[in-house]
Parts: sequence; C-alpha cells; structure tokens
Amino acid sequence: MMMANGMRPHPVTNTGERLLDVKGLTIEIDTRRGPATVVDGIDLHVDHGETLGIVGESGCGKSLTMLSLMRLLPNKIKVTKGEANFAGRDLQKMSNADLRKVRGGEVGFIFQDPMTSLNPVMRIGQQLAEPLIYHRGMTKAQARKRAGELLRLVGIPGPEERLDAYPHELSGGMRQRVMIAIGLACNPQLLIADEPTTALDVTIQAQIVDLVKELRDKLGMSVVWITHDLALIAGLVDRINVLYAGTVVEDAPVDALFANPSHPYTQGLLASIPKLTDERSARLSSIGGTPPEPGRRPKGCPFAPRCPLVEQICHDRVPSLKGIGQAGAHRVACFVAQRKLEAASWAPNR
Amino acid sequence: MSTVPVTTPVETDIEPPVSLWRDAWHRLRRNRLAVFGLIVVIILASTAAFGPYLTPHDFLSQDLGARNLAPSMSHLFGTDDLGRDVFSRVVYGTRTAFLVAVVVTFIAVLIGVTLGAMAGFFGGLLDRIVMWLTDMTMSIPNLLLVVVINASLKSPIASWMESRYLATLNPIYRETVWVDFLLVFGSMALISWPPYARLVRAQVLSIRSRPYITAAQALGLTNRIILMRYVVPNALGPLIVAVSAGLGTAMVLESAFSFLGVGVNPPTPSWGNMISDGLRVWQHYPHLLAAPAAILGLASVAFSFLGDGLNDALNPRGAK
Repeated sequence: MMMANGMRPHPVTNTGERLLDVKGLTIEIDTRRGPATVVDGIDLHVDHGETLGIVGESGCGKSLTMLSLMRLLPNKIKVTKGEANFAGRDLQKMSNADLRKVRGGEVGFIFQDPMTSLNPVMRIGQQLAEPLIYHRGMTKAQARKRAGELLRLVGIPGPEERLDAYPHELSGGMRQRVMIAIGLACNPQLLIADEPTTALDVTIQAQIVDLVKELRDKLGMSVVWITHDLALIAGLVDRINVLYAGTVVEDAPVDALFANPSHPYTQGLLASIPKLTDERSARLSSIGGTPPEPGRRPKGCPFAPRCPLVEQICHDRVPSLKGIGQAGAHRVACFVAQRKLEAASWAPNR
Repeated sequence: MSTVPVTTPVETDIEPPVSLWRDAWHRLRRNRLAVFGLIVVIILASTAAFGPYLTPHDFLSQDLGARNLAPSMSHLFGTDDLGRDVFSRVVYGTRTAFLVAVVVTFIAVLIGVTLGAMAGFFGGLLDRIVMWLTDMTMSIPNLLLVVVINASLKSPIASWMESRYLATLNPIYRETVWVDFLLVFGSMALISWPPYARLVRAQVLSIRSRPYITAAQALGLTNRIILMRYVVPNALGPLIVAVSAGLGTAMVLESAFSFLGVGVNPPTPSWGNMISDGLRVWQHYPHLLAAPAAILGLASVAFSFLGDGLNDALNPRGAK
C-alpha cells in the first residue's frame, strides 16, 4: 500500500549507530567587536525513528544549530569546532556535491514562516517537483503525479488542481502543508522542523502537529522539532532537549521531563505555562533577567545569573550533562540538581 | 490506502489562479498612457517586421525626375533629393531602429543580468570585480567610445572583407551593410549593459536573503538552478521595466549615432541619417526633416509611457 505511493517506512536498523550525532558543535558570529560564541559545544543526538524536541527561548541557538548541520548558515556565522555526523558521515567535512544529496534527499527541512519560504513566482506543483526531479531523477510527468500524491498526503483538498496554484493563493496553514510536502518529497530519513507553527494560529498549529505525527508514524522517519512551546509538542516527541544560551541544559524522555524537571531553567519554563487551574487574576510566572548576550557569556554556568538556586561553584565552573535517571536517560547540566540526586542515591534506606 | 486523507483541513475554497502577470496586465490596461504606448509600440514593431514588404516604392530606387516632391497620395511623405520615397524610407528606418534596439538591448541584458546576478548572489571578490567593471564602463563617454570603435575598426574590417572577396569571390563579403550593423550593435551593447547589471545585482542582494532561497538550498538544489529558477524570476519585474525604457533609449541612441555619421551609414535608411539629411534643406523641404523626426519622437514617447505603465503594474505596492 505504501509501496504504491512510492514511500516505504525506513527499516529501523539498530546498528548502534545514531542517525544524527552532533558533538561539541561551536558556532561563532563575526561581529565588529570580534567573534562571539552563540552555540557553545553543543551535543545532540537523534536515533533512528526517534522524535526529538528542541526547546528554548529566542536566540538560544536552536535554529542556528539546525541550519549549521546542513551548512546553511549566513556568511558571517561560522562553525568553528565540533562535528555533526549523519548516518555515520561528517556533514561538516562532506563535499558540496555530497551535501546537496543529503539536503532534501535524506534530510527534509520545514521552515518557520510558510508565508515567505515558498518561491512566490513558481507554481507549487513545480516547487514540489523540483527535489523529485533533482534527487530521484524523475521525469516532469512522474514528478507532477507524485506532487499530486504528496499534496493529498498532507491533506490538501483538490490536490491536482492545487498544483497549478501560486503560493499567494493559499492560506498560511495550506502553505505550511505544502512546505511539509516538499520536505517529505524524497522520503527523507530525518525531518527537521524549525518552529513550523510559530506563524500560524492555534487551531492550525494543532493540525500541523497532528499531521507531522501521522506522517512520521506512516513513513517511519526521525523528526527534530524546534519550538519554544513545550506544551505544543508534549504529545509528539519522544525526547526533549532544553537549550539555554547555546548549550543543552537538560536532555530527558518527554515523560520524565514533565514529571521531574531537574534543571532550574526547565522548571522555570514549565512554571511559566499558564494552567487552567490558575487563579484568573494571578500573574504569569516568569524567569527573571535575560539570557546572556553572545560574546558576554558568564565564565561558569550560563544560567547562573538568573538561577534561583545559584551557588558559588556555578559562577566558577561550567557544569556538564550527567545522567540522573535510570540508565542515564535523563541528563542535566546543573551542579545543584546533580548533587541532590547523588545525595538521594546515598540515602541509607535505598 | 495510498490516498488516505490525513486530517481534514478547514479551507476548501478554490479560486482560479491569479498570477502576478495576469494581475499586472489588469493594472496595465487601466493606465491610458501605457495602453497608448503599448499600441504605438505594437504598430511600430509590426511596421518594422512587415512594413518593408508592403510599401508602394522601394526605399532605394531613385527617381531623379521626381526629386523633393511635397507629400501627395503617391508619396505620402514626399520624396527626397534623390527622388526616393520618404515614406518607404521611414518604414525601413523603423526596421533599422528596431533591429538595433532589440539586438543591442538583448545583448546588453544578457551581459548585465549574468554579471549582476552572479555578483549579487556570490558576493565577495566576484562582486567587487563585476562592480569595478561596471563603474569603469559607465565612466567611458558613450559617444567617444563609439567614435573610437568606428574610426579604428571600420576600415580594417572593410579592407579585410574586400580582400576575402577578391580571394574567394564569395558575394557574402560584398555585403558591407552588415559591418555597419555589427559595429553599431557591438559598440552600443558594450556601453549599455552596466545599468542592467546594477539593477539586477541590487535585486539579487535583497532576494538572496529571503527565506525561500534558504529553503531551496535546504532542498539540495544547485546554485545554478537556484539562481535561474528562484532568484532571477523574482528579479524580473524591475528588469522588464528597465528593458522597456532601454529599448526606447537604444533607438534614440542609434538615431543619434547615425545622425552624427558613426552609426548606420547611407544608403541604409535610419531615422538618424534621414534627420541629418533633412536638416540641411529644412527651410525648403521641411517634410524631409519632419517625417523621421516625428516618428522618432513618437517611438521614444511610446516606449517611455509603456515603461512607466509597466513600472506601476509590476509594483503592486507602488500602485493605487
């Protein structure tokens, strides 16, 4: 059934090799005052068939990290250290020709703003056909047929007629569906969604999340979903990485993160989500202060200046991610949280 | 099973596609001056294409018994000092003007768009070199360059053609009219491309940073495809306006050069050399000056109106 569609779920190979493995990636911006670090030695990984949520506030390096994987960073922003392995190949060292095969062919991208991410002077059928012709060597007729199927797959009514529409004739939600269809055109192993719902209204947001969830289950790909909205992706992702100032501060399975948020920043983020049970007159909880500017990072833990639990050690040294849960699946980069857990495990009655 | 609708979306309205061009066409039609310009341009273009086959007289045949006649039914614009029909010559001059304008603009746009798009898209050293070339070319006085090219290249080419003819007896080498055109095309194209290069570069610089370009890169498309299918089509609006204005300018420029004797040479009729001939006797035979001058003015105004109209039509933000 899937075969007829030209789409087959990827076999979940368990060779111990991760689909995406980012190690110590550092990104710097050239400013007039010299280079400023925006992403500081980030470690990330995505397993085959896994959905990873990346959460963090604006400017914490979420999008830059993902763009850097595909070497799509603007001119003045550069990766200075670290490696990013995709299916065992280092994306940073790959030749341009090989990289182009990965882009769109093995890794699909969905961008933030569907209003400006489609070429305004090209019919959407053509834009869908482009990667199919380029990566899959299809003829124009084959690509057009497949483009129609893709539009149907993402739930666009009258897909065959829509192929000849221009982007401005579609609503925001429709355009994001088209973007998703383009991202999935070549049946990629990994779909990177960079805040795909930010520009959409709330009901459409939920539709898009559901759509990606269904497509993921159907096609068996891995997904990285970047967002600043923890609640939105709770039902979609397997694991969440919380980013703060260009580093991962907490990495946990989604249930563990909501049940037992361990980093003070994560706790603050969760506390700032309004709940139905809140008093109507109560003020929304927020985290005091602002994230450090690039180039003015504190010497120790980047969150230390805003942290309610801060101690002297936090100002002196940078904490690294350490496992606190069973089998180390839940990791946190916070001295205080790590010590609390150590203390708990030393308790005599355990 | 392969066509399971995933989620039922809300929107179901389907309008007939309204493309940018159709939209622009609607706006253009409402602009009277632009429509006037368009009609005149179409008439002149058809005259250039088919006119010479329909004229009652040959533009070269002399009738020395009927020199300097005033306009009449058999000679609409009268005859010149060699008894040639001025109407036929103006019609043929239209062909000359269009031929030069179209070929020169085509070459200039080709060079300008290629250089400008590459400079804007790739930036860096390439950009600097192209902009340096552009500035340098723009600093050369038009007329001076054309005079220099004419003076330095015309006679060597002519004598080379002559020697080829004597060696091969191939009549192709006898057709010196083409040397004229080639020199005019070449020298004018050489000075006409910089404005196109600058315009396209500026457009590309702004388009390059738009999200759909990053999206196209993320699809693994090559720079060549992105440049040709994503960048250039989006830069086309202002370019069309510039081309329309450029065609008019090229016509005037051709006439100016021919007027000064460095463009198309007699006996090939050009509005410019007809004006030049008419100027000498205008007190006695004003029609010899009036006919080509009026047509040149009409063509220039028509292209300028059309260009303005296109500018408004293709810039939705500027209109209304």
